[in-house]
Amino acid sequence: MTGVIPILRMGDVLLTTVHVELRDAIAEAFQTDVLSAIEKSRATGLIIDISGLDMVDSYVARILAETGRMARLMGTEAVLCGMRPEVSATLVRMGFPMGTVQTALDLDEGLALLRSKNGLTRIE
Amino acid sequence: MDHRRYMSLLKLDEAELRARMSACELGPEDLERLQRLRPFAEKHTAEVVNAFYELLLSHPQMRKFFPDEATVRRVKRTQSDYFLGLFEGRVDLAYVEDRLRVGAMHERIGLAPKWYLAAYRKYLDLLHTLLYAEYPPAEARAFFGSIKKIVFFDMAIAIDTYIAANLETIQRHQVALRELSTPVIRVHDRVLLLPLVGAIDSVRAHQIMDTVLVRVVEEKAKCIILDIAGVAVVDTKVADNLVKTTASVRLLGAQTILTGISAQVARTIVQLGVDISIMHTRSRLQEGIELALEMVGKTIAPKNGASEGARP
Repeated sequence: MTGVIPILRMGDVLLTTVHVELRDAIAEAFQTDVLSAIEKSRATGLIIDISGLDMVDSYVARILAETGRMARLMGTEAVLCGMRPEVSATLVRMGFPMGTVQTALDLDEGLALLRSKNGLTRIE
Repeated sequence: MDHRRYMSLLKLDEAELRARMSACELGPEDLERLQRLRPFAEKHTAEVVNAFYELLLSHPQMRKFFPDEATVRRVKRTQSDYFLGLFEGRVDLAYVEDRLRVGAMHERIGLAPKWYLAAYRKYLDLLHTLLYAEYPPAEARAFFGSIKKIVFFDMAIAIDTYIAANLETIQRHQVALRELSTPVIRVHDRVLLLPLVGAIDSVRAHQIMDTVLVRVVEEKAKCIILDIAGVAVVDTKVADNLVKTTASVRLLGAQTILTGISAQVARTIVQLGVDISIMHTRSRLQEGIELALEMVGKTIAPKNGASEGARP
């Protein structure tokens, strides 16, 4: 299942766009792919673009938040970007605010955030 | 409004019709009796309708509904048809629709149910007298019984029409109010402001959250200022909704600034133990705007030559 979700490298930033539902095997492969890409590239930033997802359930949300935390453990700042309004409303109403993962409106914002590093979107 | 709308609002189908008829104990033998009374009714139509309007027109409040002679003549004709309709010996959906039309029309011109009910009492009174004058007591009683049944059946429909019409109006106003209640304003590039005024119930809180999220994405906002200076009461629920909105806005990659917090509200929030640490807070809107501009990398600076003291 690896390689279903492509991971691109732009300088020292890894970019991945989740466009399919992160189900079981795909989710696992996605995490493995991201972590090994970080290991190989020594990237300082990771952007996960989820603008293509119109539904995120608690499982997918957990996978995404987890991946962000794992990346940070490896010294890579992770930013989740492009979440749709209805997705964020649903997640919060379900009581799943996704912990401390950093977020940005879109890809541009995500890159700007990584560049500034101590961007204001980070909330401890 | 169209009386057909009321048919669906009252869920008037065959089953509902039967339920209503059995509630009034209106059966085939009553319909048959009413049909037999038809010649009697035709004979007395003019008399009943005239007496009926005499009562209505004697009230100043009522007279304004019948400003001139032509109107009176017209409504008397309608009333005659309505009266004779009671003695059709037929109660089906078409009959109900006809009755609904009358109810809807009264509602539209603003004729209150009290007049409607008073008018019906007059009807019953007149018919009672006429029936006992024309038939032996036992027969008159049976006829009057059937009339009472169909009259109460009619009244139930008319009253339900009033209620349905009022509910519709209230719902329409609520929708209008909701649309007016979340005016998200663009203060500056990528800075939004939502001044909240009045009470926030759960429906409105839901609406606020949805509107805020959609607008944040539309405007690519970096931050949104929620000004609660005009919110009468900030209780646990309101605070919880503000925290939820903030959490959702954060997931989108933007931030929330809460302003307009009075001393009273600050005390309430702390005493209630609501954790609003994920929101930026400022007491006044001005400070909120300054913080928001700082977030988008801008500042408010005095013009060259102007003294700093000019700012309040």
